[in-house]
Amino acid sequence: MTDPRKIAEHGVSALLKAGANKAHCRLVRTERHELNVASGEMSLWRTTFDDQVLLLAIKDNRKASVTLNKSDPEAISGAAEEVLAMTQGAQPDEANDIAESQPPASFSVGHGTPDWEAMHRRMREHLEDTSTRYPKVLLMQAILEFVRQDSYLVNSNGVDLSAKKGVYRFTSVFSAKENAKVSSFNGIQVSLRDLRLPLSEAGSVDRLYREISEQVHTRPVPDKFTGDVIIAPDTLGDVLNFLTFSIRDRALISGTSVYKNSLNQALASPLLNLYSRPVSDEIADGYFFTADGYPAKNSTIVDRGVLLTFLLSLYGSKKVGQERAVNDGEAYVVGAGETPLEEMVKSVERGIVLVRFSGGNPSDNGDLSGVAKNSYYIEGGQIRYPISETMLSCNVADVLRNIEAVSRERVNYGTKVFPWVKASGVTISGK
Amino acid sequence: MGGIAGRIDLTKFTGLFKTYTELRAQENSITQIMFVKGNNVANVRSVTSGVSARAYKNGAWGFASSPALTPEAVSLVLQVATENALFLDAKEQKGKAPLPLQTISSVNDFSTKKPRLSQKELLDFVRQIDADIARRYPNLASRTVTLNCLDMEKTLVTSDGSHSHSLIPRSNLSVILSLEKDGQPVELAEVYGGLGQFEHVFDSPSSLDEAIDRQFEHLSKKSEGVYPKAGMHTCVLDANLAGILAHEAIGHTCEADLVRGGSVAGEWIGKQVASPLVTLVDFANTALGERCPVPVYVDDEGTPAQDVVIIEKGVLKSFLHDKESALYFGVAPTGNARAFQFSDEPLIRMRNTAILPGESQLEDMIASIEDGYYLMKPGNGQADLTSEFMFAVNLGYEIKNGKLGRAIKDTTISGIAFDMLKTVSMVSADMKWLNAGMCGKKQPIPVGMGGPAIKCQVKIGGR
Repeated sequence: MTDPRKIAEHGVSALLKAGANKAHCRLVRTERHELNVASGEMSLWRTTFDDQVLLLAIKDNRKASVTLNKSDPEAISGAAEEVLAMTQGAQPDEANDIAESQPPASFSVGHGTPDWEAMHRRMREHLEDTSTRYPKVLLMQAILEFVRQDSYLVNSNGVDLSAKKGVYRFTSVFSAKENAKVSSFNGIQVSLRDLRLPLSEAGSVDRLYREISEQVHTRPVPDKFTGDVIIAPDTLGDVLNFLTFSIRDRALISGTSVYKNSLNQALASPLLNLYSRPVSDEIADGYFFTADGYPAKNSTIVDRGVLLTFLLSLYGSKKVGQERAVNDGEAYVVGAGETPLEEMVKSVERGIVLVRFSGGNPSDNGDLSGVAKNSYYIEGGQIRYPISETMLSCNVADVLRNIEAVSRERVNYGTKVFPWVKASGVTISGK
Repeated sequence: MGGIAGRIDLTKFTGLFKTYTELRAQENSITQIMFVKGNNVANVRSVTSGVSARAYKNGAWGFASSPALTPEAVSLVLQVATENALFLDAKEQKGKAPLPLQTISSVNDFSTKKPRLSQKELLDFVRQIDADIARRYPNLASRTVTLNCLDMEKTLVTSDGSHSHSLIPRSNLSVILSLEKDGQPVELAEVYGGLGQFEHVFDSPSSLDEAIDRQFEHLSKKSEGVYPKAGMHTCVLDANLAGILAHEAIGHTCEADLVRGGSVAGEWIGKQVASPLVTLVDFANTALGERCPVPVYVDDEGTPAQDVVIIEKGVLKSFLHDKESALYFGVAPTGNARAFQFSDEPLIRMRNTAILPGESQLEDMIASIEDGYYLMKPGNGQADLTSEFMFAVNLGYEIKNGKLGRAIKDTTISGIAFDMLKTVSMVSADMKWLNAGMCGKKQPIPVGMGGPAIKCQVKIGGR
């Protein structure tokens, strides 16, 4: 059996036959073609094929699941028996459920096959272009891959969803060196629908290569002070992760989320607008349906600082008595503001541009500290120099409330679209 | 032989090797059971297996993998991997030399000999721990108990003539306890377990009572904790922090691929980079007569795994290598090439990285500090080519006049590792391993990190 839909249907049948009251099967067939650069040289061409089959059963309100990467009927039938055996010891929970019946839907985006010659040509061009324009840059690892994913989701309530996606992804990890002086490394990943443009034009690749060339010579900020931070689009996701984690199942079920009572309340500056847009044209590498089995829709998470939705799964929504989210989050877009980046820098009396943040995960209450990497010191409205050995301490919930400006300019990474965001009240300390 | 090796005999396919080739079959089995505040939110198993081939031609690598463990799939991945190498060789024409020859035959199976428990019995075990926590600490705001078991089974043949089979299991139980203080959550996580399958690692739920009591006691003190003072301080880093320092801040800078990527360590071989009290080793499988948390006997290129002395009495001695980097640097491979999934190519990875014990006692180290901190539990950590590091610290105490004081809130330490290691003035005589390390570098990989407590100068984030 090679037809993926029939495999998924067989998964549901096998679970029901094994005794499930409710059954759910998701098959993801992935083909990956990957061209790798190591230490500035093309080093590896990698081709992988894989199937991931998720079998999930609910029996007497007890839930279990098995994931395997075999799709033959015997393997799936055996795994279905195992899933049902696993349900026996599980905790009964009335919140365990599968998606209700919906009309079948199919989705498709991108190319079905990679253009090997174009992949090689773009990577060769990138190596030559980088060494010419940014001779200090060392491409430690660069990967251009084409990923084709065919997904099928079927359940015993009649859900029947399928999606085909073909996307190129470019990843670069790089540093810069001048004689014995070396910069910090930095990295970027950008998803692309095609290879029409040079790789240096993807996302913020060109800016980051230019900046890292400057970052061979760094120094700490002069002392300890409370100042402003301009959070670059490259690291804005690290800050927003605290918010998006805190409105998901685990934080809300455990009751540890600082936002558990914040629905329809202001939790951030009115300048912040946050969306999840997995099915929009601006997101090259989104998704079409949720893990539970609902077609994904775009949503507004934060509107002018007000939290409009949690990111709850079907289980989480039943558990905490709030609405299920219309998507699984990710594909985040922050709305553009009205401040040109240049003006934003001029408005900072003392602070930093934060380009990469190396830190722990925030505490449940939002306390966070870490090191500013690949970043710049600002004084008197001017960028002064690239920094090292500089720590930040803040509370992320406070930072979101203290946003003072959002830039007009934004960067599209294919999986997210972010501007620069300026916030005040962050403790910044040098050596 | 059962498992992967019993399902397919890779030696039958060596006749299809056209150039330098590695052929590997692998199965990763994962069990996860999670209870959040008494809710059984995860009851899952995952089994991922398949076969991969990697071929080398004049400096160009080709790789292919398939989830099928059939003769047809093995032949196909060998063909595609070879074609990929030839395609890249034709395009790039690097003309590099053959890789160094390494040959070994090895079998290392750490599966339990005890009867295996059913998923229901595992669920009952975790549920019992969760219920005991709820009963014994009624003022907790929340609790999360998670069992994670990973078995990695690999069988490998190479064109050099190496054959190896290994099954390396790891079983960890993570306990996160959370109190509410002034309306704000305060949590403390701890991980128990290590090398071995569940039945080998865990006895009864009550065997963890004492450790969880200690965890709760620390959490209670942390909920009354204060912000540490930001800036440079004299500190004692407990063994777990010294281990993550060895891995993140030094180990990564000494991976040969990162040395080629510009790591500062490349300039300092043979030079004094740390206090003479510091000796740092990436152990392959056995340290100080004891088996390491992640024992590696043969790496995924078929190289016998060797211990690598990275720093000896403060002097930087050597780097971690795979075959290609060994060829580049003109040294012998060290057996550090490791892959996580069947579909992953081997990369230069650490195994069990540790600072060796010294001669001091922990209590003397604390007593020697007038105003500083005792930092006990790490969160995540990151490092850089410059050896600038950052680790989250989730548990620590003030030291005032040689005595432990108030607990501190979550914080971060940072610095330039090669500068910081020069300030090490005392090293404790004991040694502990952190058994749950998972390192990320294109792929995740289980690692061991260990060490004694060290006294040093380090920068703390705070307010």
